Amino acid sequence: MAQTRSPSPASRHGAAHASPAVIGAGTRIRGRLTGDGDVTILGHLEGGVQVRGELFIGEGGRVVSDVDAGALRVAGVLEGDVSVTGDIAMLAGARVRGDLHGAHVSLEEGADFEGRLDCEFDLPSELGTAATTTHARSARR
Amino acid sequence: MASTVIGAGITIEGEVSADDEIVVQGTIRGKLEAREGVTVEAGGVVEADIVSGPLTVAGSITGNITSSDRVDLQSGARVVGNVKATRITIADGAQFKGNVDMDV
Repeated sequence: MAQTRSPSPASRHGAAHASPAVIGAGTRIRGRLTGDGDVTILGHLEGGVQVRGELFIGEGGRVVSDVDAGALRVAGVLEGDVSVTGDIAMLAGARVRGDLHGAHVSLEEGADFEGRLDCEFDLPSELGTAATTTHARSARR
Repeated sequence: MASTVIGAGITIEGEVSADDEIVVQGTIRGKLEAREGVTVEAGGVVEADIVSGPLTVAGSITGNITSSDRVDLQSGARVVGNVKATRITIADGAQFKGNVDMDV
């Protein structure tokens, strides 16, 4: 007889595997967030983030914390050091302060980044070594 | 109002405060304050005091609940803590241990 009042979008898709999380624009978290799936932050988070999937910081989102994630996309504000196994994308409107470590980093026009970039990429075979590190003191496109 | 969904694989340890509606399928430990409604779905675990608008529980809550509106414990819910609310329903199959204060 007791029924869930309104099925949330997440439960409609089923939660067979790690289901995504959305921290809405009006939500503030002071503490650590850990997760198996993808996390979208449109609100504020201060503390720590460790997700196995992709962390997306939307426009208006603000994360003041170190980030440990599978992938990272930023269109909002991020202050903290980042360690990502996959790709880092800083989109237009992003404002990022911190040291980033990822497999592949992209900066869109309009992204504002200050910090260090530490990533591995393959150089053309003429140049020899397979891994190198790039330090960018202040990259503003 | 936008809504916040704490998915099943997500754990938050700390203080959560929201103007959004919150749906908990994962775990929150610490403190939860929501101006709007909170739904703790089956599988959701909240180990925290909760201050909220209407609260619907099908999961587990360990902590004191202060609601400005109604609290509904559905079948399968497990609540250990005191509840302060204007209205309350405890469905058959819900488990509850605590005091209820409806400001009578």
